[in-house]
Amino acid sequence: MENAEIVLQIEGLTKIYRSLFTPVGVRAVDNLSLAIRRGETYSMVGPNGSGKTTTLKILLGLIFPTRGTTSIFGKSISDLSVRERIGFLPEDAYLYDCFNGEELLDFYAGLFGYSKKTRAELTEELLTLVGMQANRRVPFRECSKGMRQRLALAQALVNDPELLILDEPTSGLDPAGRHQMTRLILELKRRGKTILLCSHFLAEVEEVCDRVGILYSGRLVAEGTLSELAGEPTEVLITTSKLEAHVAERVAQHPAVLNVEDETVRMGRAEESQVWAVLQAIHDAGGQILEIRRPRPTLQDVFVREIGEVRE
Amino acid sequence: MPVLSRLIPVLGVIVVATVVVLTRGAWLPAIGHALPAIWRIAKVTVAEARRRRVVQAVIILVAVILFSPTFFSYRSPYEQARTLISGGLAAIMVFGILLAIFVAAFLIPHEIETRTVYAVLAKPVRRFEFVLGKYLGALIILGVIVAVMTGVLVLVLVLQDKIVHDLPDSAFNPNLGPVLFAAAMNYCALAVLTGLIILISTVASTTMTVVSAFIIWAIGSGQTFFHDLAERASGASRVLLLVLYTIVPKLENFDFRNEASNFMSMSYVSGWHAVLQGIGYTFVVLLVAALFFNDRQV
Repeated sequence: MENAEIVLQIEGLTKIYRSLFTPVGVRAVDNLSLAIRRGETYSMVGPNGSGKTTTLKILLGLIFPTRGTTSIFGKSISDLSVRERIGFLPEDAYLYDCFNGEELLDFYAGLFGYSKKTRAELTEELLTLVGMQANRRVPFRECSKGMRQRLALAQALVNDPELLILDEPTSGLDPAGRHQMTRLILELKRRGKTILLCSHFLAEVEEVCDRVGILYSGRLVAEGTLSELAGEPTEVLITTSKLEAHVAERVAQHPAVLNVEDETVRMGRAEESQVWAVLQAIHDAGGQILEIRRPRPTLQDVFVREIGEVRE
Repeated sequence: MPVLSRLIPVLGVIVVATVVVLTRGAWLPAIGHALPAIWRIAKVTVAEARRRRVVQAVIILVAVILFSPTFFSYRSPYEQARTLISGGLAAIMVFGILLAIFVAAFLIPHEIETRTVYAVLAKPVRRFEFVLGKYLGALIILGVIVAVMTGVLVLVLVLQDKIVHDLPDSAFNPNLGPVLFAAAMNYCALAVLTGLIILISTVASTTMTVVSAFIIWAIGSGQTFFHDLAERASGASRVLLLVLYTIVPKLENFDFRNEASNFMSMSYVSGWHAVLQGIGYTFVVLLVAALFFNDRQV
């Protein structure tokens, strides 16, 4: 993927909001640079006010940068041909509530100048994809949050976009709705779409994204693949059957073991031979080994660590 | 001469239509992309207005108002016709303007406030297409309202004509031609005012837009008075009044109520001049609105 074409590029992007009361301005985005390659799923994560939505709005040409440049497919967003190749799912599914699902998709497809026949085919296909065929005639204002989000995703797909920009696609959804939306994003990823995702739900980001950028106070504080950000596993966890006290004490005396708690033996960054030695000791003492794990830090751990470091 | 004055607007329309058709090679490709987008946005504007049901409520209210004078007693059928026409056209104008103000002032700010504009502008839609679509939508809404209200007024006049027709000394004149012309001119005034309100709404808050619209309506409807006031003033207030007099559309020029209700001969030529001026004015106003909206952060 490293040699793949760059689909979206941001260079030195800065956005300062100034008003009568804040002449110095509030720096929403600060010298942000990043690039997303074709077929990649990239996620911008960060606490509220970290500049994610501002960046998306600049990318879409809804607001204008104070400094820096953005380009999609090597062109400015003001170029209509760019907007013909992207899809955008806004946060909280802000769509026209005078329409039902079918009319909404027909309306948005119409903005691409598609014929009536094409619009009808697209509507059918997208309603099926997002599982809204049965509720196609429910007015948008009467739709549940989950149905709204699915319709919002469907409208973002009317032009079969190469690049999808998703702003908090699972915000406000219940666990079942979140799971469904995550499945849909994975399906789109499987179809080769390039995806830029902003989300607060780090577990979902972890599940779908190839690379993550962590934003804080408008700045990109960390970026990379999940394994790059998480680093190498730092410990080994051995789950055993209940160990008798004297056995647990003997295992705990092993130099590579950090501690023994209940049925878990925790080791530091141990060599394979050391792990084998501890396993042998447990076995010899009559303990039963149930599981051996080398857990990586989760995105949540990385996020807390990175944000904590910047705050300090 | 009256025949000629009636022919002039028709000839004008033919000339404009001919020019438009003959020059289609120049403008058709340029707006080929814009038209479907403008039309789609106009349609969603109409759909949103329909859902709010304010329009339907106003139409019912105006229908009641238009029918109510038929229950009053009058000194003569002539007086009756005069009152019905004058009152009916006044009701159409007042309610039309109130609706124009409240429909147009909210069109763009509402889209920004509810953030529905995000998904639209992320599609291949230029900002000027969005503004024009909103304007066209407002024109359709107002067109339907004025048409329905005029239809009700015509119905009232025709029914009243039938009722009093057999009475001795009946001189009831529904004066339908001039009434329709006056209503059409009324619609043109609304179209001009709507354009200006949309321009203001691209830069000002909704409250500011509504207040400005009422001020413009007041100034535009009393241009003669306003001009006299400006002439009598001095210094900065004179300059300010003259600037306002110049930039505010001359809605007075679209008002043919007096001619229609007093059975005077209609000056179709001045009506046509007002329409042409209105088209030019609205074109400039929408151009500026599109430029402002183009730079607006949403």
